[in-house]
Amino acid sequence: MRPGLLPIADHATVKAYALQVARRHRRMLAAVMGLSSLATVAGLAGPRLLGTIVQDVQHGTTDGRIDLLTGLLVLAICVQAVLSRYSYLAGKAFGETVLAELRESFVGSVLDLPLSRIEQAGSGDLISRASRDVNALRQAAQQGIPAVLGAGSSALLTFGALVLVSPPLAAVTLITMPPLLVTVRWYLRYARDGYLATNATYSAMLENLAATVDGAAAIEALRLGRQRVTLSDTDISRSWRAELRTLRLRLRLFPVTESCLLAPAGLMLLCGGYGYTRGWVSIAQVTAATLYVQQLATPVSTLLDWLDTIQTGAASLARLVGVAGIPPDRAVTGAAPDETNRRLAAERVGFAYDGGREVLRDVDLIVTPGEHLAVVGPSGAGKSTLGRLLAGISAPGRGRVSVGGAPLVELPLSDLRGEVALVTQEHHVFAGTLRENVALARPDADDEEILAALAAVDAAGWAAALPDGLGTRLGSGATELSAPQAQQLALARLVLADPRILVLDEATSLLDPRAARHLERSLSAVMRGRTVISIAHRLHTAHGADRVAVLEDGQVTELGSHHELIEADGAYARLWDSWHGEQPSPAAVPD
Amino acid sequence: MRALPGPEPGDPDCGSAIRLLLWIWRDQWGSQLSGASWGVAWMLSLALIPAAIGRAIDRGIVGRSSTGLVIWAGAVIALSLSVAFTGAMRHRSALTNFLAAAYLAIRITVRHAVKVGADLPALTSSGDVVAISSTDTEAIGSTFDITARGTGALAAVTVVALIMLNMSVALGSVVLVGVPVMMGLTALLLRPLHRRQDRYRTMQGTLSGQTIDIAQGIRVLRGIGGEDAFAARYADRSQQLRSLGLRTGRIESLLAAQEVLLPGLLTVMVTWLAARLALHGSISAGQLVAFYGYASFLALPLATFGEAADAFTRGHVAARRIVAVLRLRSALTDPEHPAAMPPAGAALTDAGSGLAAAPGQFLAVACASTEDADRLAARLARYTDDSAPHPGPDPEPDPEPDPEPDPALGPALAAVPLRSLPLAALRQRVLLVRNGDWVFPGTLRDCLRGVTEAGDEHLLAALRAVSAQDILDGLPDGLDAPVAEQGRNFSGGQLQRLRLARALLADPEIMIAVEPTSAVDAHTEARIAGQLGTYRQGRTTVVFTTSPLVLHRADLVAYVTGGMVAATGPHARLLSAEPGYRALVTRGAPTANDPTEDDTGVDGTGVDGTGVDGTIAVAEVSA
Repeated sequence: MRPGLLPIADHATVKAYALQVARRHRRMLAAVMGLSSLATVAGLAGPRLLGTIVQDVQHGTTDGRIDLLTGLLVLAICVQAVLSRYSYLAGKAFGETVLAELRESFVGSVLDLPLSRIEQAGSGDLISRASRDVNALRQAAQQGIPAVLGAGSSALLTFGALVLVSPPLAAVTLITMPPLLVTVRWYLRYARDGYLATNATYSAMLENLAATVDGAAAIEALRLGRQRVTLSDTDISRSWRAELRTLRLRLRLFPVTESCLLAPAGLMLLCGGYGYTRGWVSIAQVTAATLYVQQLATPVSTLLDWLDTIQTGAASLARLVGVAGIPPDRAVTGAAPDETNRRLAAERVGFAYDGGREVLRDVDLIVTPGEHLAVVGPSGAGKSTLGRLLAGISAPGRGRVSVGGAPLVELPLSDLRGEVALVTQEHHVFAGTLRENVALARPDADDEEILAALAAVDAAGWAAALPDGLGTRLGSGATELSAPQAQQLALARLVLADPRILVLDEATSLLDPRAARHLERSLSAVMRGRTVISIAHRLHTAHGADRVAVLEDGQVTELGSHHELIEADGAYARLWDSWHGEQPSPAAVPD
Repeated sequence: MRALPGPEPGDPDCGSAIRLLLWIWRDQWGSQLSGASWGVAWMLSLALIPAAIGRAIDRGIVGRSSTGLVIWAGAVIALSLSVAFTGAMRHRSALTNFLAAAYLAIRITVRHAVKVGADLPALTSSGDVVAISSTDTEAIGSTFDITARGTGALAAVTVVALIMLNMSVALGSVVLVGVPVMMGLTALLLRPLHRRQDRYRTMQGTLSGQTIDIAQGIRVLRGIGGEDAFAARYADRSQQLRSLGLRTGRIESLLAAQEVLLPGLLTVMVTWLAARLALHGSISAGQLVAFYGYASFLALPLATFGEAADAFTRGHVAARRIVAVLRLRSALTDPEHPAAMPPAGAALTDAGSGLAAAPGQFLAVACASTEDADRLAARLARYTDDSAPHPGPDPEPDPEPDPEPDPALGPALAAVPLRSLPLAALRQRVLLVRNGDWVFPGTLRDCLRGVTEAGDEHLLAALRAVSAQDILDGLPDGLDAPVAEQGRNFSGGQLQRLRLARALLADPEIMIAVEPTSAVDAHTEARIAGQLGTYRQGRTTVVFTTSPLVLHRADLVAYVTGGMVAATGPHARLLSAEPGYRALVTRGAPTANDPTEDDTGVDGTGVDGTGVDGTIAVAEVSA
């Protein structure tokens, strides 16, 4: 496994979590167990009654007696059917409730994760947990848990009924237990890895396939078609090999389990027949015992069927619960900003990603209310990291970032967002309606406020043209917004959030320059009346700012107004020249 | 057992869903037959166990014959072992059939997707195609998997019915009538169940989409503090899904009850009739037990029939969806009688807009509107045919590049209209680079190399040309570093440079790039602009851009407004002569009005040829 991936909970934690869930829902759990046990008991009447019928027929009886016994059989089946239904419902309720709780708490803990930790792990890890693991658990929780609870109690009770019929005959069924258990243990040892590997081959196949469709233009342009087809065939042969591996496991498991579950009926007849000739057991006992042994095969094979899924589910649970174990990087202390002096201050701030090289070193910056500060510098200088620290999204490794004297990471989230917000070049549109997308910034906003926010960023026109207005569903598979529209949406969220300080990290950089220019109008509407820190690689932003900070290799190397810095003729002046298309001096183009 | 995926599949029959399924069946009829045989052997072994138990009771217990007991109890054990063996073999065959069908469905889909090409995302969404390869191919696989058990079930029900009929017409009739009635009753519930289950799955998909949303949008959420709102909305949807699950559970629970009730009642019916027959001496005690056994056994083939009906229905729906994808056709078609490809060193022209790139030229195009840039670039590389109507194939391509082609014609290579050239050959000569272009997962080396056999030194040279050494330096594994899906492990600026490097390595005769440096910082952009011309020396490069850094380095700049070339010339001259151009490329900068700035630009032309990195001279082309 790649270092840096999100943690996986250990065995003890998963167990504790499962126990806690069981305790919290002990009533539901008791209902599932109780109902399925009762259903099984009703089902056990069948062989017992048939045994009696066979014996009565043997000894001669009346039609009336047979009708009575048959009537009892019908009653037993009806009771069993009704109980099965309610036991299924109870199991379903338990499974759905546990699953909903689990996914909600997973989402909750993901939302609390330190951002740096997510980035270190890569979003792939998170996505696979959010989709694959939640799905694996769904099967285990919705069908597996009820099935296993039902089958478990059914197997135990059937065996109990067998003991009631005749303890020595019941002992016969135990003969095949040792080989069965040994084989199942062997299988489980290898099965999990085998199935995980198989699933991995399928996800790889699907990922490549999605890329083949989405990347169709690039494939045609670069003539990668043949390569993509070969890749898909390679993925298929990988999947085939993985399938063969688990098939071989099953080809050893199935014959053993089937023989161990079916053959005991023959053994039972042999022993029972011998016992009957000796007068130890009656014909009714032999018949009932033989039928019970046959009946026992069903719940036991159900248990075996679900073992895999439960095992995979436990592995997924470990991955979901593991996320909750990461300590948050912010803690509310009750510190409050000084109302009279709300300046944003970074003091001797340092930051390194997970023990790596420091990307920021001893950065000192003070931004006064209402000021517009531009941060410029080459790629990789630490501009975005600084932006995050200034917005209180990550905690600094060293030093502190505070507003009005209160450290940002000690403010409650709701207060923090009133102080400072960050918009980056990522303009993610969330799956949901336009209304939901904008209102993320302030859930209690009404339609009028949302429309006003959209209008403020020049987005009222296209928003009104959407088929269902604010109710239009956005995101993949629904209405797709263009990049500039998505960025306007991000800005509308800001208008609604209404923070005192704005950090804009390359907010328009991924856009086409002409679209960007249009957006800048939207942007200036948002910036009006706020403290703004804008991070940019395009210098026109810097020119309009009150002050410019040049960040190079994690340190602020120049700080001052545009004109001061031009006169200083340092790094900023060189950048400015090169942006203006002047012949760059060799010093500005280090190779 | 056949090894998968097997040889190259032929052309699928996409006449209809059924025909597609039959086409797949023909591919695996041999293993279908063997699967069915194992299925019959397996299910019959199971079906005969009650008969053997009955005999053991009659001969061995009631008849007190120890040989009879040993023989028939032994028969039960032998049948059990036979079930174990034939069951495993049946599973092996059925899985092979499942996978062979599913893989085949994926393979024909992928092959067709690649054939449709660049138009595909416009015709269908990747979600649809991915759904095809996950759920639909699985449904198709199940259709071919169930046949083994289904055939077995059919054989077993027939045999059991015959045995019973042979014993008693009444008993046999109960089975013959009871089985179809039970199947019908079950089918009644299946339809509403599937409807709810489908709804559940859709909603489940939406919810997992939201979970994935967090992973992708967490930075955005953090930036505005939307975490709580998001969590509340998620919890709301999650609870809705839960209650839908409970409602679905209600139907499922009826089915669970029915699974107990219907076979149970059949068993009771059979037992009751048999007990009466036994009481009057028509059948033995052992046969009574055997009948009870048969009746209980029937639950299995019955369930299999239900499963088979379900698998066929889903398989048919899935096949219909696949057929729909297989019928997609690209709007760009190869000409019926393609013209011969012009020799290398051809001029690329577009009479409609007046754009013309001479062989070997570094042409920059500054478009006043983004849409124009996108459309012109797509037209020049023939990713769209929205130009003038097609005049018909040109039988005799002019060997001399015509500087002034007929304005009625669309884009042309050496005056041969692009539409009359074979598309594959055109793609080889003309490469379009756009910012949305996909970056495929794999190693960085594979990603850059594409179909070329470029060695590491070439890759490094291309990375240097796009000023991307810093990207490489940041990767401990260097060229072996993994590129994630959509290149997510790289920043926007880094991806842009990787895309450009990839295009440089493909080394097309004509490269057309749209805003290839919009996401990199000024420093880097200046370096790339300087090095691009050198790297592409001798080949044609057309860059759509409004960045002064790039325009300044081009051999020639075409200024496009309203979809037409308004002026051409070197950057400096256009800056001074064209106010519109100046406003476009020096946006927001007050120095644009500063005459000294412009003068510098004009002076710059003179020294262009002597740039620090030795860019090519401009004079010959712009003169």
